Amino acid sequence: MKLLTHNLLSSHVRGVGPRGFPLRLQATEVRINPVEFNPEFVARMIPKVEWAALLEAADTLHLVEVPKEPIEGYEHDEKFLKKMHHVLLEVDVLEGTLQCPESGRLFPISRGIPNMLLSDEETET
Amino acid sequence: MSEVQEATNQLLDGNLHGNQRSIQVTESGSRSESEHLQVTIGATVPTGFEQTAADEVREKLGSSCKISKDRGKIYFDISVESLAQVHCLRSVDNLFVVVKEFKDYQFKETKEEVLKDFEELAGKLPWSEPLKVWKVNTSFKKKKTKRKKINQNSSKEKIDNGQGDRADERDDTKGFTNKTLGSHILDYYENPAIKEEISTLVGDDLASCKDEADEGSKEDTPEVLKFRVTCNRAGEKHCFSSNEAARDFGGAVQDYFKWKADMTNFDVEVLLNIHDNEIVVGIALTEESLHRRNITHFGPTTLRSTLAYGMLRLCAPQPTDIIVDPMCGTGAIPIEGATEWSNCYHIAGDNNPLAVNRAANNISSLLTKSQMKEGKVPWGLPIDAVQWDSCHLPLRTGSVDIIVTDMPFGKRMGSKKRNWNLYPACLREMSRVCRPGTGRAVLLTQDKKCFTKALSGMGHVWRKVHTVWVNIGGLHAAVYLLKRTPQAFVHPVEHDGERAPW
Repeated sequence: MKLLTHNLLSSHVRGVGPRGFPLRLQATEVRINPVEFNPEFVARMIPKVEWAALLEAADTLHLVEVPKEPIEGYEHDEKFLKKMHHVLLEVDVLEGTLQCPESGRLFPISRGIPNMLLSDEETET
Repeated sequence: MSEVQEATNQLLDGNLHGNQRSIQVTESGSRSESEHLQVTIGATVPTGFEQTAADEVREKLGSSCKISKDRGKIYFDISVESLAQVHCLRSVDNLFVVVKEFKDYQFKETKEEVLKDFEELAGKLPWSEPLKVWKVNTSFKKKKTKRKKINQNSSKEKIDNGQGDRADERDDTKGFTNKTLGSHILDYYENPAIKEEISTLVGDDLASCKDEADEGSKEDTPEVLKFRVTCNRAGEKHCFSSNEAARDFGGAVQDYFKWKADMTNFDVEVLLNIHDNEIVVGIALTEESLHRRNITHFGPTTLRSTLAYGMLRLCAPQPTDIIVDPMCGTGAIPIEGATEWSNCYHIAGDNNPLAVNRAANNISSLLTKSQMKEGKVPWGLPIDAVQWDSCHLPLRTGSVDIIVTDMPFGKRMGSKKRNWNLYPACLREMSRVCRPGTGRAVLLTQDKKCFTKALSGMGHVWRKVHTVWVNIGGLHAAVYLLKRTPQAFVHPVEHDGERAPW
C-alpha cells in the first residue's frame, strides 16, 4: 500500500463519518520501490493531498522529513518534488495495520493489500 | 577564362549534374520500394469501440481510419516503416494486411459457381506487397516469441518464490540484456497455455493432406511455407458456408503458391472475410489475439485488455486523475490504466480475496515484464490494490476522479436478483466518492434493465452522457459513460442507526 492510497482511505465503520480519516498507520514491513519521477505529476497531485494525514503517515514510518505544509513555489522546487514523489509513490507498506481513529477498529495490511472489509454488523444497513 | 575553358566547364558541370540526378533517381527508386511501401491494415476491435480505436490510430499513427460496416473492424493506411508502432496499439485485438477489398462483390447464383469463382480468385490477387509486409512482420514476431519464453519462465519463478530477491532479479536482468534483441516492440503476448480459439476452417481434405505431409518430412525446408485459411462469413443471402469457401479458396491458394496446409503450425494465415457483399482478403499479422496481453492470472470473467483500454479512453483521463475500479476482479482495467496512463493514479479494489490477490499478481507480472523490456531496474507503477466492499467504499468523499468498472452481469458472477440490491447501492456509493462536477464513471454491464432502473433515481448526481453497445462473449452488453453532476453528495437522513453523515 502506497502512502498516496493511504491518503485516500477512510474508515467506514457505522457512525464514524468524517472522523474516520485519517487512518492511523502502523507498519511492520515496508519496501521501497523506485518509481519513475514525473515532476508535473507530483506538482499537480500536491493540492489534492490531505497534507496533515500525509505528514502523520510519513512520520510514523520515519521517512525523510516532510515539511508542515507545501513550501511556496513548490511547483518548481525539484528537491521538494523529489522528496514528495518518494513519500507518495515509492514507499510500499507490505505488512501492518490501519486503525480507525474514532472506533479503534483495526484493518490489516497483508502482502501490500489492506483489507477494509467490515462484518455486517459493523456496516450501516 | 578563355571561351574554350568556359565551355568545357559548363559541359563538365552539366555532366556532373546529370550524373548526380541519375544517381538520385536510382537511390530514391530502391528506397521507395521498401520504405515508402504504403499498405492498408485492417484491425479487429471490440464491437462498439470502433471510433475509440480510430481515435487511437489517429493519435499514435497519424492515419485516418475507415470504419467498416462489418462491425468490429477498422482500416487504415500506413507505410511499412510504421509497422512496429501498429503493434503498440492498445485498442485492437487482431491485425491483418489487406490483400484486396471488394466493396460490392457479385455472387453467382449457385454454390458451385460461387466456389469456382473463389478458386479462380486466388490466382488473381495482388499478393506480392502484402506478403512483403507479412515478411517484415514475421521478423518482429521472432523476437517477441523468444522474449515471451524468457518472460514466462521468469514470471513463473517469481510467483513460486513469492517476493523474489532483488539481487536475483538484477542478475536475471543482466543475463537477459545480452540475449534481448534491441527491439522497439513491446511484448504483449501472454501465457500460451491460455489460447484464444480462432475460427477454423480449412476443409477436411486439406487437413488430411497435411497429416501425410507431416509424417513424410519432419524437417521442413524453410522455403515451403505452411498456411491456413480462416473464413468469417456473415450475411443472409449467401448460398455457401464459411467452411466451403475456406476449403476451395484454400485449395486454390495452395496450388498457386505450392504452400503446405497446416491448421495449427502455420506461417501464413490467409483471411477471407465475407460480410454481405463486402469481401476482404487479408493476411494475419497477429497470432494470438492481443487482447489478453496484461493478464497472466485469469479469473472466471476476465475482461479483454482491449475492451478495458476502450473503456478508459472513453472517460478521457487527465494527468493526476485518481482512477478507481471498485469491482476489479483480476485487475484488467486498472492494469491497462497504469500501463497506458501512467500519469494517473490507479486503485484496484474487490471484496473477493482471490480476485484481489490475482490482481496483485498481475501487477507483479507486469513489473517483471517491463523489467525484461528495459533491461534495467524495474520501475514501480502508479497502482495499488485494496480489499473492500463496493457498497461501502473506504474512500474519502469526493476524492475520486474516475470510476471504471465491469459490473457483475448476474450470469457467470452474482445473480440477477442480487443485482437489484447491488446496483443502486453501488451507484450511490460511487456518487459519494466521485468528485462533483468533473468526476465521471464508465460502467460495463449486461444487466441493462437493472442498471437503468438503478440510475433512474439518481439524476441529481449522475447524468448519462453516452452508451456504447458491445458484445461480450455473445452477450449484448452496454458501456455507460456517466458524468458526476456538480451537486455535492447529500447523505440520507440518519434514523434508526442507519447510515451516518459523512
